[in-house]
Amino acid sequence: MNKQELTSLVAEILSQMNTGEPAVKGSDYKPASPEPVRKGTDYADGDFVPDVTELDLRKLYLTEGAENEEKFRKMKMKTPARLGSGRAGARYKTLTMLRFRADHAAAQDSVFSQVSEDFAKENGLVAVQTECQSKDEYLTRPDKGRRFDSENEKMIRDAIIEKPTVQIVIGDGLSSAAITANAMDCLAALKDGLKLRGIQTGKELFVRYCRVGAGDAVGDITGCELVCVLVGERPGLVTDKSMSAYITYKPYTGVSESARTVVSNIHAQGTPAVEAGAYIAELIETILRKKVSGVGLHAEVK
Amino acid sequence: MGESLLSVGLDVGTTSTQMILSKLNIENKAGAFSVPEMEISEREIVYKSEVHFTPLRGADLVDAEKLRTIIADEYKKAGAERTSVDTGAIIITGETSRKENADAVLHELSDFAGDFVVATAGPDLESVLAAKGAGADKFSEKTGKTVLHMDIGGGTSNLALIKDGRIVKTGCLNVGGRLVKFDEAGKVTYVSPVLRGLCDVCVGDHITERTVEDISKLLVSALEMVCAKRGETELLRKLATEGTDMAPVQADVISFSGGVADCIDRDVPWRQYGDIGPVLGREIRKSLLCSEEYVLGEETIRATVIGAGCHSAQLSGSTVFYQNITFPLKNIPVVKFGESAKLHEDAVFWSIEDFGLPDYSRVAALADEIVNRVKSGPVYICVERDMAKALGQAVAMKAAKDRPILCVDRIKLLPESYMDVGEPVGPALPVVIKTLVLSN
Repeated sequence: MNKQELTSLVAEILSQMNTGEPAVKGSDYKPASPEPVRKGTDYADGDFVPDVTELDLRKLYLTEGAENEEKFRKMKMKTPARLGSGRAGARYKTLTMLRFRADHAAAQDSVFSQVSEDFAKENGLVAVQTECQSKDEYLTRPDKGRRFDSENEKMIRDAIIEKPTVQIVIGDGLSSAAITANAMDCLAALKDGLKLRGIQTGKELFVRYCRVGAGDAVGDITGCELVCVLVGERPGLVTDKSMSAYITYKPYTGVSESARTVVSNIHAQGTPAVEAGAYIAELIETILRKKVSGVGLHAEVK
Repeated sequence: MGESLLSVGLDVGTTSTQMILSKLNIENKAGAFSVPEMEISEREIVYKSEVHFTPLRGADLVDAEKLRTIIADEYKKAGAERTSVDTGAIIITGETSRKENADAVLHELSDFAGDFVVATAGPDLESVLAAKGAGADKFSEKTGKTVLHMDIGGGTSNLALIKDGRIVKTGCLNVGGRLVKFDEAGKVTYVSPVLRGLCDVCVGDHITERTVEDISKLLVSALEMVCAKRGETELLRKLATEGTDMAPVQADVISFSGGVADCIDRDVPWRQYGDIGPVLGREIRKSLLCSEEYVLGEETIRATVIGAGCHSAQLSGSTVFYQNITFPLKNIPVVKFGESAKLHEDAVFWSIEDFGLPDYSRVAALADEIVNRVKSGPVYICVERDMAKALGQAVAMKAAKDRPILCVDRIKLLPESYMDVGEPVGPALPVVIKTLVLSN
């Protein structure tokens, strides 16, 4: 191609660009109807819309035109993950979006809500509080969530006079909902299991604004051989009611995190609270026998 | 966690007796911070025996002594010992299960083969084991198709309807390759009593290929009826194995195993085995059974024995409760709790289904009820829900300290079944759920 040809080619291209044709495909979009169309609704004024959180995520299937819908549905039954949510253009469907936001809100609520004042009294627990004075402080000052002031320390000392073999602590942690839903069922089975094995326990504590490390301070105060902290876990989008048990042999402030044995996922869709309680009792017996918890126990049991 | 169980399978069939050894690998599927969840992660066949003729003594007895020799020889060849075998099942199938001494031989052999080798029988269980051994359940799961599996042996055809990988229905027909036997000269030496009134061949007759074809066609038409490819007649009822009942079913695919399945895709001279098997296979290929999609099992003649060796044992949930129990427990009948007020002299496994989400007060109430009803002897409980440890300990709190208590969960029971429980594998217990139906 010589210079002249090239010049005329460029001129030709330039002339085409000035014809007013859209330069980007899709920019010629014209809405079919300029005004949004108001559709009729199934609800009368004052009605409630259905609760999106009541839908079982394993059964909520929204994908259209799947190769094998039946198989997809079957696969979905195996996981609470948000599979098969379909799409509207490049985005979520409204239902998916609403459900996601509802679950997220429930998770946040569960962090910021309190276990009721009556919880400890109704269940015969000794109620104490860490150095934190509010949820905000609890969230921003993890160190305070592991310590007690002298007044609360005295309350613990007064309630638990003799050195117990096992001290059970129930702490709100990051999910009050988890504690309300699971702690007492789990505790009842756990106490049965310990009693059956002849293991002595101190009066159970309820700790508000509780971090796992608060159990170490309880260890310092009571001189217990083992502490078991039932604590609400940071909520996720699958459940806001997941509880864990952190078991530490010979706890003291500053004990290594690797010295803890954890049983997690205690909730209705995971390990049921009663069954977990019975399991923890057996685990505690093993830990007391081996005189070690955490990573050391794993090595020992193998 | 690399634990494994050595499992033996022994199938004493109408025609053949076979043994396999398999390794069941067990793994903890749960994360390190959760309650353990042991599962059989892999089933690996480590030894397959030859196919032996089932030793008989006369027409009505199984030769127990020869069977013992077969097992002992095969153990030796496999380099296994009675004490190294952890679990497994012996199944007596087809016409052999009708022999007079079948029951006695079965139990004697199961003790001979290992401490926790269980005795099983019954056409429904055979159907389940054969379908699993042939891999028909996996085929159905993979393809999403409904499969009717037929394990066509010497005396019976075990049927299993499989949907989405799950066996939903079983049945059995007296259709098999050795219902008529003849010698090299073509003289009939045996006619099974199940053919009485259906064909007029008698012992001593001279048989022709034509006659064998006629008998085979008749038998095949019953198979066609059961998969709704041919209109149902009296014949289907006449050929149904005693104690079984299977109405015609529709399936996307028919799958075959058993000795006769080896004669479906391959021409075998009609006199080859001195029975009707080769012709029966040929007639199946020509029939409506193979007019649409059909498959041969991953295993054919060995399907049942592999089912017995690999698929008889399962694991309970990993949080169970037991005290004062000497394992293994064998042949414990399963009874639904609360339903039957019948007094059981021997210990039974109380099964509890549909409990819902267990909370402490309901578990404690159930434990009370159990202790009140089962006043003496051992307490064996089996629940579907993950709650065995909590329930077991709740019962133990209320019962006398020396009472044997066993509570297992995550087990789905079959009606009229028996349960065997072996030595613990880590936190779980190996369990065999079985039937014991001998038709004599």
